[in-house]
Amino acid sequence: MQKGQNEHQLIHRVNAAKINVEEADQLIRDYMPFIRTETGKFLKRPPVEGRDDELGIAMMAFYEAIGGYSKERGAFLSYAAMLIRSRLIDNVRKEQKHTYDVSMDAPLGDEDTTLADVLADSRNEQEERLMREATREEIAELVAQMKGFGVELSDVADNCPRQQRTLEACRKALQYARENPALLDELLRTGKLPISSLSAGSGAERKTLERHRKYMVALLLIYTNGFDILRGHLTQIMKGVTAK
Amino acid sequence: MNYIVMECHPGYAILLDEAGIFCKAANLNYEVGQTVKDPVLMKSAPEKAKARSSKWLRSGIAAVAACCIIFLGLGYYQEFVKTYSSIYLSINPQVQMELNRHGDVTRLTGTNEDGRTLLAGYEPESRDKVEVADELIDRAIEMGFLSEGGQVSISLDCPDEVLFEEYGVELREGITAYFDGRIVIDVTITDHRSSAPEGTQVSDEPPAEAAEQPQTPAGSQTPSQPQTPSQPQTPSQPQTPSQPQTPSQPQTPPTGSEGSNYGDTNYDDGGSNYSEGDDGSDDNDDGDDGGNSGYDDGGNSGYDD
Repeated sequence: MQKGQNEHQLIHRVNAAKINVEEADQLIRDYMPFIRTETGKFLKRPPVEGRDDELGIAMMAFYEAIGGYSKERGAFLSYAAMLIRSRLIDNVRKEQKHTYDVSMDAPLGDEDTTLADVLADSRNEQEERLMREATREEIAELVAQMKGFGVELSDVADNCPRQQRTLEACRKALQYARENPALLDELLRTGKLPISSLSAGSGAERKTLERHRKYMVALLLIYTNGFDILRGHLTQIMKGVTAK
Repeated sequence: MNYIVMECHPGYAILLDEAGIFCKAANLNYEVGQTVKDPVLMKSAPEKAKARSSKWLRSGIAAVAACCIIFLGLGYYQEFVKTYSSIYLSINPQVQMELNRHGDVTRLTGTNEDGRTLLAGYEPESRDKVEVADELIDRAIEMGFLSEGGQVSISLDCPDEVLFEEYGVELREGITAYFDGRIVIDVTITDHRSSAPEGTQVSDEPPAEAAEQPQTPAGSQTPSQPQTPSQPQTPSQPQTPSQPQTPSQPQTPPTGSEGSNYGDTNYDDGGSNYSEGDDGSDDNDDGDDGGNSGYDDGGNSGYDD
């Protein structure tokens, strides 16, 4: 009886977590012991947090289980355990493809040195830390601006086009907006995505832009002033795109 | 490809790749702003599977619905649209009435010039074959194609005998009742399939079986030579009426009424007796005197005249 009640409560939480990011995060935190146990079963040893990537993959699999669960799949925890195991197996297979790659940590000869020690470290840690800090600030600013449009990064990731054709339509609209900065100003001024102008100017279907509004908002905001690092990162976004 | 870590959650991180795609991936101790390579991207398989299954379901439902529509449409076509039988109405205007399986008129076609004139501007008030036939005969009377004592020949093209009899009786009774007391017309009903060549010559020539029947009285051995009066020199044909030396031949006196009404008699009874036509010929073979004598004399006298 108690078990049935717990299962019922868990399903209730899973359903809430499907639509609420915070609920999902909290559910994962609450079920970390379960996730660790399942990862340990696979590794045949207790996973070490911060060192074993498998734990991160298992947590992602648990999150996937939240999104993909329905009553027809049986008990949630059984489903989550199955998904965790599947993802860990996928990861092992992926890693096996790189078995013959030379490891930077492999010892060289009889000495206690590795390839990483021999090769000069081209990265400037200080510079990298500064760059990461600047990027983090830009992202924080972007997230704040997106909030003004009622858009969160999780929404954008879920709303991101999957098909190449849709992606190209969105990129066409973006290209048109970049060529007509007045549209970007209008976006910031009105707080609304100028779908009609973008559609008419770029030739992208209005319905496509409406369906991916959140994604378009995020992209257009990145191309307004103040996001140089993020814009610099998007080196491939305009490949092969020509506006109408 | 490089990814910038945009947001971190316990179960996943949101990354932005260089092509502008936001994606979720396993959070392998990432920090926001960090640039990473080869992340473990989250699969959206369950949603895809759901979408695929619902797509299959929708396709299946659409296919079943299409099949139902086709079957219903085909059934409707077979029952109500496809021509199952035809009525050829000959006054002088000739009209073909196409009927569906239920006997309703589906199409009217004028098969000669007068027929087309008769149908010009005609809109049938009902699809009932008898009513349409009545209306067409009415129109023929109004347009001067048919007058008192005129003849209306109805030739039925039906796939089976039962339907032929049913339609024949129905049309005969319906038309007779409709014009009863108004005008006297002669209605003849024939089978279009067996009498098609003669169908249009109803008022001019006797039907095919009538032409074949005269020789039957004593000459069952030579059924194909009924016109022997013109060949008196053929001793091998003793059945010819013109040969006085054949005492065995029954001397049935030619009745004028039978001779002149030959065609009419056959036609009038054609509808109801058509299925009995075979019986009649059997009778002839058996040497039924009444029938044979009548046909023989009538036919001969008619042709001699």
